[in-house]
Amino acid sequence: MCHRSVGLVQGVVEASGIPTVTISMRPDVTYGVKVPRAAYARFPHGNPFGEPYRPEQHHLVFEALLRLLEQATAPTFVELPFRWRRWKQWL
Amino acid sequence: MKPIPLEPLDTTELQQKYDDWIVFVERSHHGSNPRINPGDAFTPLSKPLSQSRVALVTTAGAHLVDQTPFHVETVAGDPTHRILPDDLDPSDLRFTHTHYDTAPANQDPNCVFPIDRLHELVERGRLGAASPVHVGMMGFNPDPSPIQDDLAPRVAGILADAEVDVAIMVPG
Repeated sequence: MCHRSVGLVQGVVEASGIPTVTISMRPDVTYGVKVPRAAYARFPHGNPFGEPYRPEQHHLVFEALLRLLEQATAPTFVELPFRWRRWKQWL
Repeated sequence: MKPIPLEPLDTTELQQKYDDWIVFVERSHHGSNPRINPGDAFTPLSKPLSQSRVALVTTAGAHLVDQTPFHVETVAGDPTHRILPDDLDPSDLRFTHTHYDTAPANQDPNCVFPIDRLHELVERGRLGAASPVHVGMMGFNPDPSPIQDDLAPRVAGILADAEVDVAIMVPG
């Protein structure tokens, strides 16, 4: 539901004239809500930029969002090639 | 740092999964309705990112320790926002949200609210400036109407007043 809420805010902000991009851990919800730019990360909820105290990982995600902003010329949804190696701690 | 590839997402089954999720949400939460965006909004960058002012906008329940926490005990949700000044002390950030594990965010806010990363990108010249204000919200809102009708326009106004060029949107 976090994804729907942030997606609805994103839609209005984009329509107001400010370019936006989102990271998503729920591609179905982000896709269904319809946003201009989104990147799917196979990360757990609560970790959209990665793990605590992993600045280099946060920067990889942040940079991907920035390049999506620079490259997209129409509504675009991409997937980031990350896998979460510590899933079991979330299950 | 080698940039990671941006591969198009296979969206084949996503609409069906979304439709199934909406059915689930409407069954399990009173007051829900299937609000979505018109889907046609697309605003190109007006200037290079190295000259752009960037804001963080999150529904991960981010607020400062001295701000009222979000209501998370009601089924109605909490369609309010908190202003997060850019010069905040990250150790003052709190994440109040009961629908995801907030432990990592409360350990290192940059997991969901990458304020230190934003400042580093400005220092490196990748981004022009950080917005003087960022926005925290709490995303558990079964009824999306007040989000779309009231909260979102308020947030857009805050960003416009701050002369923000780009907004990074982050769910929890």
